[in-house]
Amino acid sequence: MATSTYLSNPLVTVNAVDLTDQCTAATFTKTLESLESTAFGNTARYYVAGLQANEVTLTFYNSFAASETYATLSTLVGTQTTVTVKPTSSATGATNPIFTLTNCYLESLPIVNASLGELDTIDITFTGGLYSVAIA
Amino acid sequence: MKLIINSPRLGTVGAEFTPSEGINIEALIEGGFLVSTTEPKKSSKVKSEPIEE
Repeated sequence: MATSTYLSNPLVTVNAVDLTDQCTAATFTKTLESLESTAFGNTARYYVAGLQANEVTLTFYNSFAASETYATLSTLVGTQTTVTVKPTSSATGATNPIFTLTNCYLESLPIVNASLGELDTIDITFTGGLYSVAIA
Repeated sequence: MKLIINSPRLGTVGAEFTPSEGINIEALIEGGFLVSTTEPKKSSKVKSEPIEE
């Protein structure tokens, strides 16, 4: 049985800033665009890999205090940056790889997502960038 | 120009920051995570005119 259970200690950085304690969800998706290579004589459609089209979506508690979520993200809208996600805060290794999206783009940032009696949370998506994984 | 860490979210406060690829330095400075220090320039020496006797 293979499982990956995320409890409380993944590591998330945005632009090198550790926002782990403000993050509640991370979805890191590696995508290689498919280019059709089907030709005469084929009886099925075939595809080859094109450009990478990666993205990472993060859910944060919004905070306007110094060095918190808003201070980190507001200056990144419309720019490229680097995001890393690691399953646990332990040392990087084969069983705890660090996933990096380098020069990914932040198009938009929800400034306020407020509801009465609830914490302000925001979902942001970084698109593009070069995907890499390191085990050391 | 030296970049000094100004927030524990970025590392040890007061330590020099060495950016890796893809890090947006301007955003970190604007957000107060880094401060940049420029080493003081040496003042230019003004040569005094030779005294003619």
